[in-house]
Amino acid sequence: MTSTGTTPVLTDPGDVHPDAAMGDDGGKKGGVGDRIYGLLRAIPPGVLWLLVLVWSIPTLGLFVNSFRDRSSQRSSGWWTSLASPEQFTLDNYEVVLGASASAGLVDSLLNSFAIAIPATIIPIAMAAFAAYAFAWIDFKGRKWLFIGTVALLAVPLQVALIPLLQLFSGGAHWTIPGLDRTITFIADFDLAGNTTAVWLTHAGFAMPFAIFLLHNYISGLPKDLFEAARIDGADHFTVFWRLVLPLSIPVLAAFAIFQFLWTWNDFLIANTMVGSNPNAIPTTIRIANLAGDFGRNEHLLPAAAFVQSFVPIVVFFALQRYFVRGILAGSVKG
Amino acid sequence: MGKIISTLITVVVAVGFSAAIWVGANLVFNQARYHWARFNGLVFGVGGFLLGVLLSGNRLTIGSEGETLGGFLNWVWLPLVLAAVFAVLGVALTRTDDDRQRLIIAIATGAVVGVGLGLLIQDQYLPSFSPIGLIGWTVAGVAIGGGLALARKKPPLNGVLVWGALFFIIGAWGTADLGAGSTVEAVIGTLVPALALGVRLGLTDNPELHTRTIIDQKSRAVIFLGPALLFIFITLLVPTVRTIYLSLLDNRSEEFVAFENYVTTFQDRGSWDASGFSNFFTSQLFWIGVVLLGIGVVLGIAQKQRTGKAVELGGASLGPLVVAGVLLAFALFTTLRGTIVNNLWWVVAVTLFSTVLGLAVAVLADKAKGEKIAKSIIFMPMAISMVGASIIWRFMYASRDISGEQTGVLNALWVGLGRLSTGSGIPTLIVTIVLGLILLGLAYMVAMALTKQNVGRAVVPGVAFLLIGWFFVRFAGIVGGGVGGFRVTADGQTVARTIDFITDSPYNNFWLMVILIWIQTGFAMVILSAAIKAVPEEYLEAARVDGATQSQIFWRIVLPQIGTTIGVVVTTLIVVVMKVYDIVKVVTNGQFGTQVLANDMFNQAFAFGNTGRGAALAVLIFVSVLPVMYLNIRRMQKEA
Repeated sequence: MTSTGTTPVLTDPGDVHPDAAMGDDGGKKGGVGDRIYGLLRAIPPGVLWLLVLVWSIPTLGLFVNSFRDRSSQRSSGWWTSLASPEQFTLDNYEVVLGASASAGLVDSLLNSFAIAIPATIIPIAMAAFAAYAFAWIDFKGRKWLFIGTVALLAVPLQVALIPLLQLFSGGAHWTIPGLDRTITFIADFDLAGNTTAVWLTHAGFAMPFAIFLLHNYISGLPKDLFEAARIDGADHFTVFWRLVLPLSIPVLAAFAIFQFLWTWNDFLIANTMVGSNPNAIPTTIRIANLAGDFGRNEHLLPAAAFVQSFVPIVVFFALQRYFVRGILAGSVKG
Repeated sequence: MGKIISTLITVVVAVGFSAAIWVGANLVFNQARYHWARFNGLVFGVGGFLLGVLLSGNRLTIGSEGETLGGFLNWVWLPLVLAAVFAVLGVALTRTDDDRQRLIIAIATGAVVGVGLGLLIQDQYLPSFSPIGLIGWTVAGVAIGGGLALARKKPPLNGVLVWGALFFIIGAWGTADLGAGSTVEAVIGTLVPALALGVRLGLTDNPELHTRTIIDQKSRAVIFLGPALLFIFITLLVPTVRTIYLSLLDNRSEEFVAFENYVTTFQDRGSWDASGFSNFFTSQLFWIGVVLLGIGVVLGIAQKQRTGKAVELGGASLGPLVVAGVLLAFALFTTLRGTIVNNLWWVVAVTLFSTVLGLAVAVLADKAKGEKIAKSIIFMPMAISMVGASIIWRFMYASRDISGEQTGVLNALWVGLGRLSTGSGIPTLIVTIVLGLILLGLAYMVAMALTKQNVGRAVVPGVAFLLIGWFFVRFAGIVGGGVGGFRVTADGQTVARTIDFITDSPYNNFWLMVILIWIQTGFAMVILSAAIKAVPEEYLEAARVDGATQSQIFWRIVLPQIGTTIGVVVTTLIVVVMKVYDIVKVVTNGQFGTQVLANDMFNQAFAFGNTGRGAALAVLIFVSVLPVMYLNIRRMQKEA
């Protein structure tokens, strides 16, 4: 770093100093002022780590509590047991991961996987083809169709919930106006209360976002590549399969992680579609129900919440780079 | 174990199904150019299958109901038979080039299908024709078909046949008295359109290679887009339109009530309650806000004389004005009550605090030691579910009877502070002395700045002096008998009380918002940090050479550079917050005056069965995020 030596403040770029001189003079030479100033320099990192501490305390507290039994959870703060770690027990986890009908989490974990995996894979497959078509196949009205699709990003999912639940619980029918005849377009497959209804909804809702995200990437691939492939006689399917898909792995991963966490952590759609069927609920609803049990199972909540968060936290720390990318792009999802 | 297997089956079936549809469709259209017969057979087969599904799926044909064949086969046999018949027709038409033979094949198939379907119609659907309806619709169809063809300057016969057939079906089955007719009428009802469509097919020549190539090319777009657009159509487009429609019907979706649902929503005391507005002017927040506003204005006037601008980034007047604005807004939100007010409060508070805190962390962590670790920890809450976060904070907010120990961190601190404040031991003495020393130091800094005539520099320590001074006065018990969970009343009694973060209205709303702020600060930080790192190093270098201080660099260079990104963060957060649901649902379920639109919508629609009201609330959320989403999408398109 170059320094013209006007003030000592300027020599070190790491010295971020929001409180520092607003005015023109920063020259403090010796004396009490200098010493106070030296103290002030420690403030920014201090504030940062204070914030970090504040941010981690809630999670830390829950984590510690998950290893404490019911009576100690109810009678003293979690910090008191840091001094006496011999109190810690795995009992809560045993109950939560065991076969207990009232507090077990295993069934709901399976449901969460049964929802999150199809809800991630199916939109990827369909949206990748669609994004390719929007980017590299010429047809009439391409631009407007794409804008229309992207515009649907704006729809908050609340808007579609009521009709979707009606669709899943009763099919889709249309009474022709004036003729009083009803036609069934989609039969009643009795999907309400079934995990299928949840992932179908997720898949549909992810589609505009997925198309949009993948299109951004796929349309940016070099044009020469496609022309060369076409000259070699490859059809669209081959080009897509052999060329586009392998090249798009980073963006597919970003979307997959975003979508997986989104569906794993979702509460609203699951609660709407399967909230009333205890056999099909995912972990989020299971935990919310535990929390509503009038305190009977309150001591199990920390362990349950940790089991539920385990998958996202692993994904988060292992794939942080892709995760950040997905979050950045996901900022437009409705 | 059974559960694991069924889960696996669900996953495999779902994935396999979508792959099969897709690869299958591609293979079909791969045939178009060189294997026209195969292609035609497949397309006709699929068409026949869909027709069958429509008929037997609607339980119109014999055998589609009941259990004669057992389960699935009951209704799927007809689609399969029709698929086979149509596939044969498709192949036969392709293989025959002679015009007359083609016509014969097509008409014969039409006759067989027409008679067959007519005989299969269930008794309760046998039509008793209404001659006026039948003739009217048919004539209309013929007219439309002919007219369209003439308008496009083509021979009218094809159009007349197709449109005539379709409208004949409507006339025959739609206007008839179903169940009162005879089998003969049913056969007429299916035979006539089948024959017309047969003639239409028989009249068409097989396409040349050139046409087939075009079909092959164009079909790709359909195949590639089809599944995704179909999904969007069914799960997004139609439901959105239907919700808007439902919001105009009554709660049982029976009668049209126009905008009544919206009117009731706005008139409901639960959504909008201004009865406490008079308290606005007497609230503490209001008066502190007014005082700060005054300070800001005074500083602004002083600054204007020096720099010509009353308000500028990094100027002395900005801070007091912003804080005053926030306090006044909070004063307003705590006196006006209701769902809509709560939602506005959420939007203002969460967006503001998350963005400011995120920016602060991004700046503080930039190039600092342990930057990665610090950022990871702040960002981590983004990964866990809002339900999980709510559980985490429930334990933070726990409030136990004051006679025992507090198990929640916040109440433990609060009660501890009260003990310290009202106590008389050595710890109390130490805190008092430390506070006093800090106050002296701050006073010294203010004095130094003022003697140098540098008002701007006196602002930060001055404000800190006032805040810590006020806390000191309260702590020492000079006013109000101490701070925290313990107080000494005027007659010398010690009273103790914890804070009920979850049930104490209206501030419990803010404690709920803290949960979302805790989550979203990481989001703001990540995006803003990336933007700060993208500010060109040359700018910073040039500023340093010119002798700018770090804070000047931040306010004058970095902040303007990341302005757009701040806009992104703010718009995104607004949308997220408008839809907030999980936190409120899990922690309070809208009780204790914490209701928000999304939770109200869920309860109205799914718990109380008020479909119209729920739909209206959903539309309200939709409309309120629409402008923001519009901006967001516009921006993303520019970037793309």
